[in-house]
Amino acid sequence: MNGTTTIAEFREAVLDPAKRAHYRLAWLSTVDHKRIAVLYMLTGLFFFVVGGVEALFIRLQLAVPNNHFLHPDTFNQLFTMHGTTMIFLVAMPALFGFVNYILPLQIGARDMAFPRLNAFGFWCQPFGGILLHFSILAGGAPAVGWFSYAPLSETPYSSNPGIDYWAVALFVLGLGTISFAINTIATVISCRGPGMTMRRLPLFTWMNFINSFLILIALPVLNAGLAMILIDRQLDGHFFLPFRGGSAVLWQHIFWAFGHPEVYIVVLPAFGMISEMIPVFSRKPIFGYEFVAASTVAIVVLSSLVWGHHMFTVGMGRAMDLFFIITSMLIAIPTGVKVLNWSATMVGGRIRFDVPMLFCIAFLIQFTLAGLTGVSHASAALDWQTKNSYFLVAHFHFVFVGAIVFAMLGALPYWFPKMTGRMMSESLGRWTFWLWVIGFNLTFIIQHVLGLYGMPRRIFTYPDIPGWGWMNMVSTIGVFFMSAGSLVLVWNIAHSFFLGKVAGDNPWNAWTLEWATTSPPPHENFVALPPIHSRRPLWDIENPDRRDPVVGDDQVFLPDHNKTGILAFLFSEVGFFGTLILAYLYFYAHPQPGPGPKELDVPRTLIFSVCLFSSSFTFWRSEVALTKQRRGSMLGWLALTIVLGAVFLGGQANEYWKLFQSGVDLSTNMFSTTFFTLTGFHGLHVLLGLIALLIFLWMAWEGDSVSPKFDSGFKCVGYYWHFVDVVWVFVLLTVYILPLVR
Amino acid sequence: MTTYQFFTTAWTWNSFVLVLSILAFVGYFAAFGQRGKPLYFAAALIAFLLAFVSPLSALANSYLFSAHMVQHILLVLIVPALLLLSLPRSFSLRSPLTYLSHPLIGWIAGVGAMWLWHAPTLCNAAATSRNVSAIQTTSLLIMGSLFWWQVLAPREEERLSPLAGIVYLFTACTACSVLGIILTFAPVSICPVYQHPVDRLGILSTIRSSWGLTSDRDQQIGGLLMWVPMCAIYATAILAQLARWHSSPHPEHSNA
Repeated sequence: MNGTTTIAEFREAVLDPAKRAHYRLAWLSTVDHKRIAVLYMLTGLFFFVVGGVEALFIRLQLAVPNNHFLHPDTFNQLFTMHGTTMIFLVAMPALFGFVNYILPLQIGARDMAFPRLNAFGFWCQPFGGILLHFSILAGGAPAVGWFSYAPLSETPYSSNPGIDYWAVALFVLGLGTISFAINTIATVISCRGPGMTMRRLPLFTWMNFINSFLILIALPVLNAGLAMILIDRQLDGHFFLPFRGGSAVLWQHIFWAFGHPEVYIVVLPAFGMISEMIPVFSRKPIFGYEFVAASTVAIVVLSSLVWGHHMFTVGMGRAMDLFFIITSMLIAIPTGVKVLNWSATMVGGRIRFDVPMLFCIAFLIQFTLAGLTGVSHASAALDWQTKNSYFLVAHFHFVFVGAIVFAMLGALPYWFPKMTGRMMSESLGRWTFWLWVIGFNLTFIIQHVLGLYGMPRRIFTYPDIPGWGWMNMVSTIGVFFMSAGSLVLVWNIAHSFFLGKVAGDNPWNAWTLEWATTSPPPHENFVALPPIHSRRPLWDIENPDRRDPVVGDDQVFLPDHNKTGILAFLFSEVGFFGTLILAYLYFYAHPQPGPGPKELDVPRTLIFSVCLFSSSFTFWRSEVALTKQRRGSMLGWLALTIVLGAVFLGGQANEYWKLFQSGVDLSTNMFSTTFFTLTGFHGLHVLLGLIALLIFLWMAWEGDSVSPKFDSGFKCVGYYWHFVDVVWVFVLLTVYILPLVR
Repeated sequence: MTTYQFFTTAWTWNSFVLVLSILAFVGYFAAFGQRGKPLYFAAALIAFLLAFVSPLSALANSYLFSAHMVQHILLVLIVPALLLLSLPRSFSLRSPLTYLSHPLIGWIAGVGAMWLWHAPTLCNAAATSRNVSAIQTTSLLIMGSLFWWQVLAPREEERLSPLAGIVYLFTACTACSVLGIILTFAPVSICPVYQHPVDRLGILSTIRSSWGLTSDRDQQIGGLLMWVPMCAIYATAILAQLARWHSSPHPEHSNA
């Protein structure tokens, strides 16, 4: 609520229907990071219930042997939707909700760097969720697992449109996630309060900042893969169709090159939460801040090198297995460093066992167990035995539930007072805690044993093998405990929201900046920021005689947020085009009969390429003219840039036309599939750049070019335009020049 | 020849390399005396000799692409890094060379050293001709030094700031990983010499049968070496930059 409105004004506004309309839409049209955060979390909670009910049905079906409660196909749809929902529509929105609320507060920012982009990112979530679930009405939900392995996911084997909806929905969700990561990076780099230097960032902020880079590395790879599978299904391409020359294993590489980092994308925010809560409830600063922070960077770098351990059973060859075994074992080190530091923080502390801390302790134990089964999977020999068994199901549920869900269940009562001004009920919280801990362990510990007894994953029912029946029953019983715990949680949220104890600004006596403002914070977040000289500014205020050591200098360097944002965006594009170019090269190295690079008219393309490259030069001239405030010359160079870009696009269209005329289209062979995909996506980027340039031309024509905002935006479009040209250098080299030199 | 015989006999006592090493060692002490860090220098020499005297050299010369890759990593990443670390704190590049210390030059040198010498023609030439091989070695050492100068220059003020150093290392790591991925998955031979080696030492059958290294698998290992251990080296350097950042007393604007 806005701090400046008086009660009289408020009442008047509520009574006047015209003004009340604003309130009805306030939550839908909001760009305030706190409201968007709440919307994110509510979306996550809603889909948590959906995914949970799906899980309940799965476990009911598996409770007894030879069960026919569900049709096999329904079962396949359920576990596909359960996995997809829990990852993309629960873990990510819920975690991003916490980040969205807390991160700007922790660094003393007024809002995220791009509030409207923030709203866009959020609305991608329900939109993607609706698209995904619309498939149920359009002929059946996807039924091929959350990883959608090719060729099963291709039209000849799965003809209903479920997978198309799946791919489009994930693409939309991916765009939302990427925009969120760009926003987070720009916020942390460009919107910190005075004194909040990068070395003083709270660990939750630091980890989510670093995590955003991982998102920008991983998500574009998935998006490229989704584009390929959609091209296969909708435009008759053959990327992943072996009998047409495609490669089903390529899909696995692309999916897991995203999929493994994805595990860290959802677990790093959870690590951040734990790193905030354990010190507060142990009444000690975090042990080894630098190690916890640096190990996050190590995780990000290593996590992009380990995806092959999801593919030991594919048969990649002994050499590749060996390298992936080593990297997968290596990544246990930075993770172990974190666990050690959290434990060491608790040693000698005056631990308060409030609900958030209970969940932290459970997290530590469950996550360590998850890590042990995880690192054992790094050994390919063991992996071959347990990969497609319930042992693996148990392992990753220990990661996703034991670590991520527990961290969130702890973070909710921790930050709920800040968001609502009221405490959550401690006694109801304990009920949730014990129901979840008991239920979770009942369900999943026994699944390790089931897996070692040989029960495979993804089966809709099983014969009455000794031991399997009762173990599955135990597993199913656990789900009811977790469901009950969730009901208590929902009741706790609703009850505490209206009737909880009033919290005050800093109910936990915590030390980071979010506790320096009111609960809930005013629209602008802070009336005034406290002085910041260390990592625990509120501790310094409370204990003036025992302050934390000052960390580094007070000077904060804040680059332009537009520039930071566009650079982050372009960084994500590198992964997208990199994947497309590598896919092109892969099939180029396996030539097929039919059209190939020899069909291409290289000299002609070179001429059009010169047009595109010189447009970078003309754009630069236009920028120079803008800084010298020569409007006419600026408009002229800009118009020339647009013309040159358009000529390039015309050349490309002409090239396509000639290929179509000679009977080459996307579906002809692997060359044409990869060629049209790569150059087509580049052309699309040129087109979008042209539209942006046209908008700027129009704005400059109207006389907007004098404002400093125009300047910054113009520079950003320039970065984009130059980037698109650089991409074309690589496309030109791989597609047109490489065949000439070989 | 059995494996044991090979590893005991295949040492290349190349007099030129040995004389060069001794001269370098003497020169190092003459130039820096007590001011330098001789342990690093000795380590650099050992790595250098490992690349040229040990059986690795014999394997890299004509038999195994993967052994060539180990040599490559030693010469671009290990030896130059140790050399720079061995220099005394006060050492600085002479003025006519300052343009070489631009970060972009360093980056292009470091990444170029990987990409350039794995163009099939050059890779083949280096593996067959002694002269090209000598040029290759020299260029790898120089390019590697230019690359590492940005993060390991003896004077703090000639290094990149830690955060810029992380970006520098990370992008270089990505660029080399891409090449590693291409080499790993390439169905054609990048360096055809290694497909049908001239069996001068009579070890080929041992390599192919008892070591199990077919030419395909050999190239795959070579690619993986460039992809994974190389990245691990960059990752270590990134962590070192973080450590440097957290211990630096400098204000943020020089860090960012």
